Amino acid sequence: MKSKEAIGLAITATAIALLLYELFYVNLTKGSVGVKGTISSDSILISAGFLLILVGPWLWLGDVPVAVKKFIEAKTGRKL
Amino acid sequence: MYPILILLVVLLLYGAAYIFYGKKLLERRVVKADPKRLTPAYEKFDGIDYVPANKYVLYGHHFASIAGAGPIVGPAVALAWGWFLPLIWVLFGNIFIGAVHDYTSIMASVRHGGVSIMTISENVMGRKARYIFLAYVWFALILVLAAFFSVASATFADVPTAATVSIIYMPLALLFGILVYKLGFDVRQATVIVLILVVAGIAYSFYTPVYLTYEGWVVVLALYSILAAALPVWYLLQPRDYLNAYLLWSFVILAVIAPLLLPVVRFTGPAIITFVAKGSVIGAPAGTPAAGLDIAWFWPVVPLTIACGALSGFHSVVGSGTTSKQLSSELDALLVGYGGMLTEGAVSSLAVILPAALVWNFAAVAQDVGLTTDLLLKAGLNITATPNILRFAGAARFYTAYGFAQGIAWSRLVGVELFPQLFIGFRTFAAWALTAFILTTLDTANRLARFAWSEMFDWLKPRRPTLHKLVTNRWVASTLAVVIGAAMAYPTIPGVGRAYLVVWPAFAGTNQLLAALALLTSTLWVYAMLKVRGAISLLMMIPALFLWLTVTLALLVWLVFIVPNLPLIYIGTGIIVGVSVVLDILLIYLFIRGLKSARAL
Repeated sequence: MKSKEAIGLAITATAIALLLYELFYVNLTKGSVGVKGTISSDSILISAGFLLILVGPWLWLGDVPVAVKKFIEAKTGRKL
Repeated sequence: MYPILILLVVLLLYGAAYIFYGKKLLERRVVKADPKRLTPAYEKFDGIDYVPANKYVLYGHHFASIAGAGPIVGPAVALAWGWFLPLIWVLFGNIFIGAVHDYTSIMASVRHGGVSIMTISENVMGRKARYIFLAYVWFALILVLAAFFSVASATFADVPTAATVSIIYMPLALLFGILVYKLGFDVRQATVIVLILVVAGIAYSFYTPVYLTYEGWVVVLALYSILAAALPVWYLLQPRDYLNAYLLWSFVILAVIAPLLLPVVRFTGPAIITFVAKGSVIGAPAGTPAAGLDIAWFWPVVPLTIACGALSGFHSVVGSGTTSKQLSSELDALLVGYGGMLTEGAVSSLAVILPAALVWNFAAVAQDVGLTTDLLLKAGLNITATPNILRFAGAARFYTAYGFAQGIAWSRLVGVELFPQLFIGFRTFAAWALTAFILTTLDTANRLARFAWSEMFDWLKPRRPTLHKLVTNRWVASTLAVVIGAAMAYPTIPGVGRAYLVVWPAFAGTNQLLAALALLTSTLWVYAMLKVRGAISLLMMIPALFLWLTVTLALLVWLVFIVPNLPLIYIGTGIIVGVSVVLDILLIYLFIRGLKSARAL
């Protein structure tokens, strides 16, 4: 596994953990995520999870899916 | 007149337009779409922006991006003229102008390697026109970003469960992309899995509010926009917008079913209230002298109020921006461009105007269907304080009318005593649908700003390649547009509201000037480059000139009647409208010159 992929995997795992923790544990114990009208630690954590989940899988799984790449090469005759 | 008749007429007209006007004329005789020709998605494949997409996926993306709040809020505001005039404008403006504009913008871009309609204007109107319009579009897109940061942040701060839906929805869209592209799942299997999770997520978010301040959401959404606009399209944009299409269709199908369940309910709203509404209807800021002036003549100013549902310049930027770079086959463009626009018209007419026309007078409709005042109060509707739909502001008019129409329709099946719960449930669903479209438009607008920015600096490439690479780097370009947009959405100006509002009133004119630019460019492209001549060329020439005339007069109404009656703080708005009028005149000059050159060939 390349370092970029390892970082991506770590970010993905962190993001999922943050989202699950906030959406289930925090919500079920406190009745909401965050406090109305303020920026709380819970609202920061869930926002971080939301943003990190966008980046993590992309670093982990790479830019171009192999299936798409092969399809384009077959259709255009161009080596990608 | 019963709503079901209008519903049938609208559906019939859209169906006929798609087959006869779109397929038989535009696709076969004007553009001559050829499935064998390779599209830019293949020719310039880069795995980031140029990636071929399934036509239904692309339809979902195109629709969700062009929809935003426009097809919903605009027609809701236009109800100030009554419901009939906006309905007619949406129907005919959409079929003969908007859908033609969207489809030909996509096709012109596809035939020019996926570049924007602004860059194509160079071929028919000259190099200067291209750079002027690229800069103009880039600025307009930043305004869109500022407005949508503000609207989405305010909605999330006010309706915290809507924020939860988005937080749950995005990872599920990513999961769909990974299932299909990385793990090789069949699209249908992946759709079923992810849609089940989406429905469960929506149900769970009812009980999971996520609280953050307006300012906090601006920052989070700005970061989201930078990431989403720079990531590969297959990864987030395509799967998310594909799933959005299901949301959209549930929303429209429910709107169609409601009148079927209410075949004997009459319209309670006035077909025509006035031909001349107040200045506020065309964007004059509330509280200013201009807002109270009787200057909003239905024609020519209606495009300033109803944009996306009938025609909008932003669509040409989307069509020749993200859509043309993902088109797999030229034959897909009709469904995506022409069909996408007709669907948007259906949202405006069937999900906004018709429900409002139906439930307009709350007391009358309550009497028709046997709703008691007590049940209405339980639903939060006080018909003494708000006797009709016009008492609500633009977006609330839409939620309320949609929720009310659905509530009375379904309560006929399950019992009238359940009306309050049904009303509240459907009103929330409508609010979520609006938010989903806004969020999609937010990152598409940033991606488009990046494209416009890159095309603006192409002259730098042969001279300073390293600098060009830095300036047009996708992260740099995405961040630049977002920082400016977010900075305009963040601070508050006393007496105005958020900072971007001092220039936002000019956006409607800017947007429709873009529509005129795109349609005139496409018309010239068809005439000069595709060599389509004779009566068939009038299919585009007449709508293009009608649109230019309408937009010109509308801009002049703004310049002559509204700008002088605005406080000094709105000077930026006045300047933008003035610049737009100048560009508008320049545009018709360049068009006529281009037309003469083409004739001489």
